[in-house]
Amino acid sequence: MSNNSILVVGGGFAGITAALEAAEVGYEVYIVETNPYLGGRVAQLNQYFPKLCPPSCGLEIQFQRIKNNPKVKVITMADVKSLSGTAGNYNVTIAQRPRFVNEKCTACGKCEAATSTKVTSEFDFGTGKRGLAYKTHPFMFPMRYVVDAGNASEGELNAIKNACPYDAVDLDDKGKTFDLAVGAIVVATGWKPYDAAKLTNLGGGKLKNVITNMQFERYCAPNGPTGGKIMRPSDGAEPKKIAFVQCAGSRDQNHLNYCSYICCMASLKHVRYTRERSDAAVTVYYIDLRTPGRYAKFKDATEADPKLSLVKGKVAAIVEDAQGNPVVTVENALTGIKTDEKFDMVVLATGMEPSCAGLPGAAGATDADGFVIDGEGIFAAGCAKQPLDVMKTAQSGTAAAMKAIQTVVGR
Amino acid sequence: MSTTVKVQPDLKFVKELQAVGGDSLKKCYQCATCSVVCPLSPSDSPYPRKEMVWAQWGLKDRLVNDIDIWLCHNCGTCSTLCPRGAKPGDLLAALRNMAYRNLAPLPIIGKLMSSSAGLLPLAAVPALIYGIIWIIMAGKLGSFLPTFEWDEAAHGWKAVSDGMVVFGGLFPGDYTIDPIFILVFLFMLWGFFAGVRNMLKAFEAQPKTFIVGRKKEPCFIACLIDTFKYEILQHTQFNECNDEESDELDQKRAGGHKMLMYAFICLMVVTGVVASGHWGGWFLTAIGIESLGHIVSAIGHTPMPLYHPIKLLAFVGAGLGVYGLIALTKRRVNLDQEKQSSSWYDWYLLTLIWTIFLTGLGAFVFRILGVALLAYPLYYVHLIGVFMLLAYLPWSKLGHLVYRTVALSYAKKIGRIPMGDAK
Repeated sequence: MSNNSILVVGGGFAGITAALEAAEVGYEVYIVETNPYLGGRVAQLNQYFPKLCPPSCGLEIQFQRIKNNPKVKVITMADVKSLSGTAGNYNVTIAQRPRFVNEKCTACGKCEAATSTKVTSEFDFGTGKRGLAYKTHPFMFPMRYVVDAGNASEGELNAIKNACPYDAVDLDDKGKTFDLAVGAIVVATGWKPYDAAKLTNLGGGKLKNVITNMQFERYCAPNGPTGGKIMRPSDGAEPKKIAFVQCAGSRDQNHLNYCSYICCMASLKHVRYTRERSDAAVTVYYIDLRTPGRYAKFKDATEADPKLSLVKGKVAAIVEDAQGNPVVTVENALTGIKTDEKFDMVVLATGMEPSCAGLPGAAGATDADGFVIDGEGIFAAGCAKQPLDVMKTAQSGTAAAMKAIQTVVGR
Repeated sequence: MSTTVKVQPDLKFVKELQAVGGDSLKKCYQCATCSVVCPLSPSDSPYPRKEMVWAQWGLKDRLVNDIDIWLCHNCGTCSTLCPRGAKPGDLLAALRNMAYRNLAPLPIIGKLMSSSAGLLPLAAVPALIYGIIWIIMAGKLGSFLPTFEWDEAAHGWKAVSDGMVVFGGLFPGDYTIDPIFILVFLFMLWGFFAGVRNMLKAFEAQPKTFIVGRKKEPCFIACLIDTFKYEILQHTQFNECNDEESDELDQKRAGGHKMLMYAFICLMVVTGVVASGHWGGWFLTAIGIESLGHIVSAIGHTPMPLYHPIKLLAFVGAGLGVYGLIALTKRRVNLDQEKQSSSWYDWYLLTLIWTIFLTGLGAFVFRILGVALLAYPLYYVHLIGVFMLLAYLPWSKLGHLVYRTVALSYAKKIGRIPMGDAK
């Protein structure tokens, strides 16, 4: 007798979609998410394609559907430890890390104010700070604080506990390990930005005013470290001249040997962000500007901006001058002229690396690049499968849900 | 109306290029990483991206007349950072190999030099010449491995049993070495003369660049002197080829090459002194200035005692040569085949120079030790090696010593690269 439950690993856009599609036709679904919140990379964006909606827009509808559906069980701060069994009958061991905050939390924020220590925010990709007790962003789901016990002293932990008027801080939380019996698994582990430190000829992540595209999203986001204002990391000045460097790691057999699909569109979107906020001149350096399907319209409209120049040629060297301004070297392949150009800020369009690349214990087989390959009862969705935009991620989530249902039904 | 330029691709040429080392050129997607990371490439029309697209399109005219292939010193940074593994460095090396094959006259030699299949016929020429001489002399002297003593009365070597190993006894210099090598040398000069003429003709056919703010164009001789002073004697261009990411073997490459070049200069001086001492002394004596003639003869008299300054210079040359060969061979063996490969031209030259140095040193050692059985065959192989190096020079990779020098000088004249002191 096969098990009718479905496990969804990863609670980003693909995972949420797959879970809801399966749950809303009556199947029991578990979402296991490693972060303290659902929403994945989309939650970290300022706006997302295709309609440049703020992430809260699409995600909050999904969160409503999850809340209203008793068939969906959300397990955050948890990872798959091991997996056994066959299609229709899997046993999965889940390890959940302690959150130290229970369901009584109302997100009043008094715990956060109890200590003054600030640490680098993972949610902001290092561009901002957070407290020892924190919520990552205003539309966090589940809306419940997290206590960072690893960075806090005993005194600070007690101060956090004592600040809570609802007795929601539970310092005895040990986390737990438990088993789930499921019939099918959807792997929606998503992606991580390619590590800029590996791009040694582009500064290797060491140049102060060279940031990644995801960091740029955080600067532009209203809930980001600057409240949506674009500023140089080195001195907080508003950049007057910004370069976007495409294919920073992607389409490169020394790094990511595939096109990350969305970076060209992301950079064009960043051009719009920039032009909405300031009068800065923008240059996009590209190998080929890839704007598939109807995105071509978006490119045409963005291209009309007189302060935008598009240069065919890959930036292959970035250095810093004495004032901390990045200087990029590029050959314009259309004119055949190699130049050094100085900018106030450079944004690297770093590509998508599958989150599980190089990590052991991930469910399902992976290909040479680390993307998950469908198995008999294990199905990949979203960017765990291949680089996708949000729209196609949702489609692939639905497709994976359908395959998972077919597996548990046994036909 | 705009004029339409119709691209006339030469598909056969593309295949030829792929065969001589440019096999991955079709992978290039024109991102221009290579042109940016090249430490030598100028900012106006940098290489090697443009060569990659010309090669893909089969634009033979552009490629075979391209001066930039000689500006590249093949550090391989472009190929290392190439996102597609298209190996632009290998393409430029392949284009240089094509130049060695096609620049000089007598295409048959170019063809034989281009692959291992031609090695045997090329080696057969000197092997037969000196083999026949050996057989004739053996008949005359009564032994294939004769030993000698100096016959004061006849002023020559006399074959005796239990004598010394004397190469000049078996292969008399005046009749079997010098005339043949003078002819070989003249043949080589002719090859280079025609090759360089073809090369300059090709360069001149290229569109001219107008450089704003440039003073008078320097004359070719001034450029040539400048090239000798900087790029050759100091290896300025070669040293710049290294960047901060170069590994130790890469950095040793320029040094190894320099040492090997100095080795050849030392050995050239040695040969020059011996030849001009011998023939100069003969000439002075012949025209009646006997006392000076004897002194000049004595300077170039062989075999030289081991403490003779010229002999010492020969040792220095041998030492530098072996050091250089080790550095260059080590790097080539350790090249990441995925990024940079070695062609027949590379291995032919390295192996030939190794052969010449090892047989030269071996022949010397066994001559001193009196082991005729090893000394004479090694000397014979040494003669074949030197013959092959010199006679086929304009068709070999070593031809770069002339072609690159001319190309760099020409590049200075037209302003493609700055004069040495302006860097």
